[in-house]
Amino acid sequence: MFNPLDHQGIPLERQLRNWRELDVDPIDPLAADPYTRCRIIALNGIEVEAILFSHHFARTCTDPEVKRQLAEIRYIEAQQQRVVNWLLPGVPSALETTIAYEQVAVDLTSWVARMEPDPYLQQAYEFGVLEDFDHLYRYANLFELIERRRAAKVVDDLTEVMPGRPTKAHHRHPVDNVRDPYDRTTVDPLSKLHALTIMAAEQQTMNFYMNVGPQYMEPIARQLYQEIGLIEEEHVTHYESLVDPGETWWERLVNHEYNECYLYYSFMTQESDPKVRAIWELHLNMEVEQLRIACDLMRRHDGREPADILAPALPEPVRFEPNKEFLRNLLATQIDLTTLGAGYVREAHERFERMQQQLHGGEAPASERVIDEHRAKFGDEYRIETAGPHPVTALRGEKQHA
Amino acid sequence: MPDQEDVVDLLLAQHARIEELFAAVLAGTGEARRESFHELVRLLAVHETAEEEIVHPLARRSIDAGDDVVEARLAEERAAKELLAELHDIGPDAPSFDSRIVVLRDAVLAHATYEERYEFPQLRHSVDADRLRGAARAVRAAEAVAPTRPHPGVESASANLLAGPAVAVFDRLRDAARDAMRH
Repeated sequence: MFNPLDHQGIPLERQLRNWRELDVDPIDPLAADPYTRCRIIALNGIEVEAILFSHHFARTCTDPEVKRQLAEIRYIEAQQQRVVNWLLPGVPSALETTIAYEQVAVDLTSWVARMEPDPYLQQAYEFGVLEDFDHLYRYANLFELIERRRAAKVVDDLTEVMPGRPTKAHHRHPVDNVRDPYDRTTVDPLSKLHALTIMAAEQQTMNFYMNVGPQYMEPIARQLYQEIGLIEEEHVTHYESLVDPGETWWERLVNHEYNECYLYYSFMTQESDPKVRAIWELHLNMEVEQLRIACDLMRRHDGREPADILAPALPEPVRFEPNKEFLRNLLATQIDLTTLGAGYVREAHERFERMQQQLHGGEAPASERVIDEHRAKFGDEYRIETAGPHPVTALRGEKQHA
Repeated sequence: MPDQEDVVDLLLAQHARIEELFAAVLAGTGEARRESFHELVRLLAVHETAEEEIVHPLARRSIDAGDDVVEARLAEERAAKELLAELHDIGPDAPSFDSRIVVLRDAVLAHATYEERYEFPQLRHSVDADRLRGAARAVRAAEAVAPTRPHPGVESASANLLAGPAVAVFDRLRDAARDAMRH
């Protein structure tokens, strides 16, 4: 198995790209592999987190030499982010890209939930994925309602589109979104990578919805982005609280760089588009060097050996693949869960009810109305149920959209 | 429902169908591919004519910098029509068809995206809802005279029309659209 600590990357001074190198060809807007698009979006989230993390680190860092080193690496990471996200073509609307974001959330979180060794962390991913799954269904209905496109053009038949835990029930009291962290001294190194990855993906989704939502004129679109955007705030809280806050800044820097190596390596091994794969490979070789610098900083400032906190080699590569049966099992068993404190319950407890009353004010939120409006306009709701009827009988649609 | 539909909804649905047909042509073979291509030619003719005769004039009059927005769209439409006429002439079995239809597809997708970003939202914002619904009726009336999708083995006037120069389709549709707007 690949161990990034054993490899030599591209020296940092040779990582800067000129405008010609930054001007990458986007993927095909209609014929690309949906999971190529998912890998681009996921890695964009990882690069955005790398940049924001480095900025936060720099703001608390008193050593000017370290600040300069962070700035140098961060500029390269900013270029990496521009390259990765600019692989997306300009043709799709923000809403079409939103559908792809939700496909990422569904299939990436499902993978992580399946692979997570720690049962408490696994429960956190299983809980969250049923909400992203429902968001995909709500946005897919909005997509046909206001743009007349079908989500099948984005997700193909890889990811099903049908109700999950109803979006209106995702609005919990903020204190119930704070989970217990893993213990950095005992946790499996893979769990740290999982938590960083999903936190980064959800953070990017939050940033995207809170900024593109007001670009729509249709009231239902503006309102749905506002509603789901606020749930992404909950999700970022949920996932970031899984990370041990006792990790030092140096340790966190190493974990970030290591995770970037892990994901570029993973997606390089899976990528179907040769031009995109070449970028994953190039970025892996850049990240290996960035990791080496982070490890040196940790040794110097923390007095610890990075190998002590990392896995001996990269774990099994992350894969984008269909998770239909996994999701159907979760739908059948966990759809009615909510959170209470750091745990999970089935009953709508008092704090949950109070939050719901204050927020909804007795009215149906946009996530409900978008389905009603779709039914009123087209006579049914938009779903893609390729593996049979909905596992929850009460959520079976009256008829399928052809 | 169709009576409630405004012209933006109608054009969006056509854009969606055009995307599907491009994908079907590129993925298809033999008779299926020829059928998809015929449907695509017909729909593009209907759609672009409706935009030129009904929608762009409305935008020119109603939206900010309407002349500039519309001139840019018309230039794209002219370029796309030339590409379409070439493809129609060489037919879906020609060796260069695949590479050329990708060029056309990219031009049409870019054109549709510009309309959806810079023209349609402004139309909805500036033009009265009744007028937008009236424009949808005019588009449907013009579409009604367009040749229907030819079925294999059925020789019809529409199949003949499609077999002739693509330009004839545009001319006939343009006359129908002008007619519909006068009523």
